[in-house]
Amino acid sequence: MTGRRPRAAPLVRPQWAVSIALALTVIGFVGYAQWNGSPDRSQFATSVQQVLARQVTDLEKEQEGLRAQIVEADTEVHQIQAASTTSSSALAELNRQLGVARLAVGLTDLSGPGVVIEIADSNRTVPDGDNPGNYIVLVDDVRDIVAALWASGAEGIAINGERLVATSSIYGVGESILVNTAFLSPRFRIEAIGPDGLLDRFTANPAFVGRVARRIDVFGLEFATAPADNLRLPAFVGNTRFRWAVPVEAVP
Amino acid sequence: MRGHAARISLFAVALLIGLLGVGQLRSQARPTQVSSLSAQDLSTLIETLTRGNRELRTGLADTREQLREYRIAGSQGQSAIDVSREDLRRISAFGGLAAVEGQGIVLNINGELDAIALNDLINELRNAGAEAIAVDAIRVTAHSVAVQGPLALQIDGVNISRRFVLRAIGSPDGLTAAIQRPGGIISQLKLVVRATIDLFPAESVGLPATEQSLAPTVGRPAEG
Repeated sequence: MTGRRPRAAPLVRPQWAVSIALALTVIGFVGYAQWNGSPDRSQFATSVQQVLARQVTDLEKEQEGLRAQIVEADTEVHQIQAASTTSSSALAELNRQLGVARLAVGLTDLSGPGVVIEIADSNRTVPDGDNPGNYIVLVDDVRDIVAALWASGAEGIAINGERLVATSSIYGVGESILVNTAFLSPRFRIEAIGPDGLLDRFTANPAFVGRVARRIDVFGLEFATAPADNLRLPAFVGNTRFRWAVPVEAVP
Repeated sequence: MRGHAARISLFAVALLIGLLGVGQLRSQARPTQVSSLSAQDLSTLIETLTRGNRELRTGLADTREQLREYRIAGSQGQSAIDVSREDLRRISAFGGLAAVEGQGIVLNINGELDAIALNDLINELRNAGAEAIAVDAIRVTAHSVAVQGPLALQIDGVNISRRFVLRAIGSPDGLTAAIQRPGGIISQLKLVVRATIDLFPAESVGLPATEQSLAPTVGRPAEG
């Protein structure tokens, strides 16, 4: 007896089911990558780090408060000096000299034509085996840009609103950057006031061409420049009083 | 009915992909938040910020003292002139417009230092708290930067020979420790340049005023 086997019903695979299966596969991969890409998460959450991070945040808040108080006190000093220019010619001359000196050393807001330069981390995916550090803005990049700007005739420079003066350092802590002890994050906006042709001289300057221009090209660091007709750089806010250095010359 | 369920499922799946995708992108982004720095970096940051805040407090106290002196002096007379004169001395010294002297360190450098190395060294001294710096007889100002000239290294347009002296005023102990620390600037430079760098603390270092005009030519005081 040869019984006919009942014919199996054709497998129903509606299109949406296939789409969901594909999507779930993608979720699986992305979820794995997300999990695997954060191996240091537990490390970040250690209590020591949390305590240190809190301390940093507190110190930054304290710094913000101190800087605001310095601005307030400086403004009062300037107002007194400005008011006194009408009372005595000797004092008026002295306070005029003070205004000139403040402008020259970066203690006055400066306005004028110049350039704006922005640099930020690369948006490219870091290829396997490559160093991720190549794809982020390093402290050397910012220093090179600043060096090229000074060498090109800049009269004043500010990085994310931090005015550079004779005591300013641009310092790297890990992958972060400190300017005048302020903790700055990318994107870095570097504004410089200077004479005509500043941008052309900057882009041709060896300090720019030598390292950072190559890194922009090779690793795709985000980079943009633009001339500006009227920039305004804030005055330096910080301690201008020396503890160790004593002026030798007396002011007449 | 089944089509409706499918649409909802697809929407839910797409939403999940979106959320995971954003999370992945964010986790690949640079750790610029304080909470994502390493313990070592955080410690360095705390040290730097603490030092900076201490300086700011000192500066604030001095400015308030100056205000008090102005108020006592009134808006005219010899006392007010003295306060303004002192302010001018301080600002001129700060920016490099006046000669200064004080304790510090002297670095005798002999060899092939390139522009990047010299700029890094100056930057490191500033970060370590140097209040004033000079390369040979050239006072370093905000504008000063080492560049490779046609014949030699230059600062402010002046040639620097293979053998030169870098002088800095500041805490001799603090500057020495920062410059000579393991992995510090001198260790790094020794790997990339052929030069000898000898450091000496000094009881008195004299630095000249800059010979450059620092007055802006196109920049002007911002109003308002």
